[in-house]
Amino acid sequence: MKRVICGILFFSTLVVAQNKSKNHLPDGKAGSLQNVNCKTCHTCDVPTKQNPCLIECPRDEMITVHQTAEQGPDVIKIDKLTNKYLPVTFSHKTHSQMSAMSGGCGNCHHYNTAGPILACADCHNTERKREDISKPDLQAAYHRQCIDCHKEWSHSTDCNSCHLEKGSPITHKVTKGKDHPKVKEPEKLIYETNYNKGKIVTFFHSDHTKLFGAECISCHQNDNCTRCHDTKNVQTVSSTIPEKISKTGSQHHQPCFKCHANDECSKCHLDKPTGPFNHKTSTGWALTRFHEKLECAKCHENTNNFTKLNNDCVSCHKNFVTGKFEHEKTGLKLDEIHQEFDCGDCHSESNLPDGKAGFANKPDCSGCHDDKSYPKDKPGSLVKVIKK
Amino acid sequence: MEKQNRRSFFKSAGLLTATIAGASTKSVKASPENILSEDRMGVLVDTTTCIGCRNCEWACKKTHNLPAGELNSYEDKSVFKEMRRPDSSALTVVNQYENEKRINFPINVKVQCMHCDHPACVSACIVGAFSKKENGSVIWDTDKCIGCRYCMVACPFQVPSFEYDKALDPEIRKCDFCFERTKEGLLPACVEICPVEALVYGPRSELIKIAREKIKKYPDRYIEHIYGENEVGGTSWLYLAGQDLAKTKALPALETKTAPGVSESIQHGIFAYFVPPASLYALLAGIMWLNKKKKESSEGE
Ligand code: SF4
Ligand code: SF4
Ligand code: SF4
Repeated sequence: MKRVICGILFFSTLVVAQNKSKNHLPDGKAGSLQNVNCKTCHTCDVPTKQNPCLIECPRDEMITVHQTAEQGPDVIKIDKLTNKYLPVTFSHKTHSQMSAMSGGCGNCHHYNTAGPILACADCHNTERKREDISKPDLQAAYHRQCIDCHKEWSHSTDCNSCHLEKGSPITHKVTKGKDHPKVKEPEKLIYETNYNKGKIVTFFHSDHTKLFGAECISCHQNDNCTRCHDTKNVQTVSSTIPEKISKTGSQHHQPCFKCHANDECSKCHLDKPTGPFNHKTSTGWALTRFHEKLECAKCHENTNNFTKLNNDCVSCHKNFVTGKFEHEKTGLKLDEIHQEFDCGDCHSESNLPDGKAGFANKPDCSGCHDDKSYPKDKPGSLVKVIKK
Repeated sequence: MEKQNRRSFFKSAGLLTATIAGASTKSVKASPENILSEDRMGVLVDTTTCIGCRNCEWACKKTHNLPAGELNSYEDKSVFKEMRRPDSSALTVVNQYENEKRINFPINVKVQCMHCDHPACVSACIVGAFSKKENGSVIWDTDKCIGCRYCMVACPFQVPSFEYDKALDPEIRKCDFCFERTKEGLLPACVEICPVEALVYGPRSELIKIAREKIKKYPDRYIEHIYGENEVGGTSWLYLAGQDLAKTKALPALETKTAPGVSESIQHGIFAYFVPPASLYALLAGIMWLNKKKKESSEGE
């Protein structure tokens, strides 16, 4: 099935790509004259170059723009154009790692479809004198991708930083196997703002990335190498924390507002630093054991807009009803008598309305038995948990 | 380019003196070519793409047989400390300015003759040495040029320059839009060499469309202005930028009114109480030309 879906997808994207100039977003407006719905390839309403929001192709072995740096090639030989230079050995992996934070593969492989990665030369003409001058030729396309960062970082446009002239004694620059050091993620950042009713904003960086599933790019969209490198206008690598950059109030708020648009200012602006996100204090419902380990999105479908969920077990766990629940999955197979009981008969909590099951405490036998208690006595037999 | 010999010049000068009283400025400047043809060419300079490598400066010198030196030597960024203007030794120069949006990313602006749609230099030239061609370029004929330097004064971009340092037969020089190259189907040398294709050569009308499209697509990157689309009535070279190039002082702040009108009114202002401009042109031309010849022969001795 996967293959079929992907086949259809790939074919339709190809059709779109081939007719791009004519039919794909013909006048800058969303829509296509092909019978391909935008949502066939894009997840958002208004795809842009910065955020094409392409859906992932479900075919596993295909290399798409959704690949990690390591899945892509290590080095690439750029030899489509012949001139006075030797082919360039481009350290693809290192560069992919560098751009992983601010846009990933799509940073360079822009306008790529949801299908396989297209080579630059598939769209960019090798000839400068050509019919379609609306997009740069191949040489310019290569150079524009490289020089923007290289120049900003090194303040140089020296050709030799990538190129070796023909006839040079060295035939290639060693780029194979190099890795960009892992970018260190701060746990929290405390901002002192000039908002009088709450000067302090504590931003739990790791909560946002690990718990709430925020992607690096959603905030670091415009960050490139110079965010960490060359922070003082000299060619150095600052290994610690990037230079503080001054942003306007609206620039600061912009990434937050993607999710917090409807929140009160006091949600973030307080008079002292706060602790990390805590489900109990924020929502009144404590996460315990299994729930604690889940990603937010496992329960809250729309992580851009968290809404209160019904915390009745059955609202998510449809099979948590008497007769349907396979108790042996917990490691204890109920005997025939106990199988008949409601969950709340053993799993009860005094603060819950009568009969409602609660699992924070250990099971209670006293409802029926005066002389039994768990775990000394068991309402069945222990079995091995088979993890799927 | 066609030559004009001494005899034919005397002829035209004589003719002019004969019609001294009645002639108007317009009758002197005939424009037989369809100089504003729909498919006249232009160059779109994207200053947000230009990296200031100055390769264009080198290529321009090479094709125009000017001393160019080694391409590697153009890596030298110290030239950006001062604002330069095109002159007789460099028909195009690239300058650097502060970027209002990204401090660490200065912008570079290449300047050369803009190849105006209504060129002031053509209007000002009293011997008709300058002409606007159908392919958009504004060129001049060295053999006709008498070195009066009216074009230099008239040009709103201060482009034409005079070989002051040349003792023998100094000439007016400026970017000729690589007229000899484009005639052969080649690209202008600067366009050909630009590593990032910050210079796009194509029909002016198409370039404007492309520029508009870019502005629409990347509103953060560009300001909503195509420099040269309307300045002095439009120019063949067009500029896209992330900031106001006139405010940056990279290019002059100009009105959309055509420059020749401006230059004409200056001349009329000066000459209104004397003789009609055309007659004065002819007279001046004659004197200049004689002077030039005298100088030449004395240098030859
Ligand atoms: S820029 Fe100056 S020299 Fe060039 S065409 Fe215009 S007026 Fe003439
Ligand atoms: S068009 Fe030709 S003459 Fe003009 S700047 Fe470019 S290379 Fe020089
Ligand atoms: S060659 Fe291109 S990139 Fe280099 S300075 Fe000239 S216009 Fe700018």
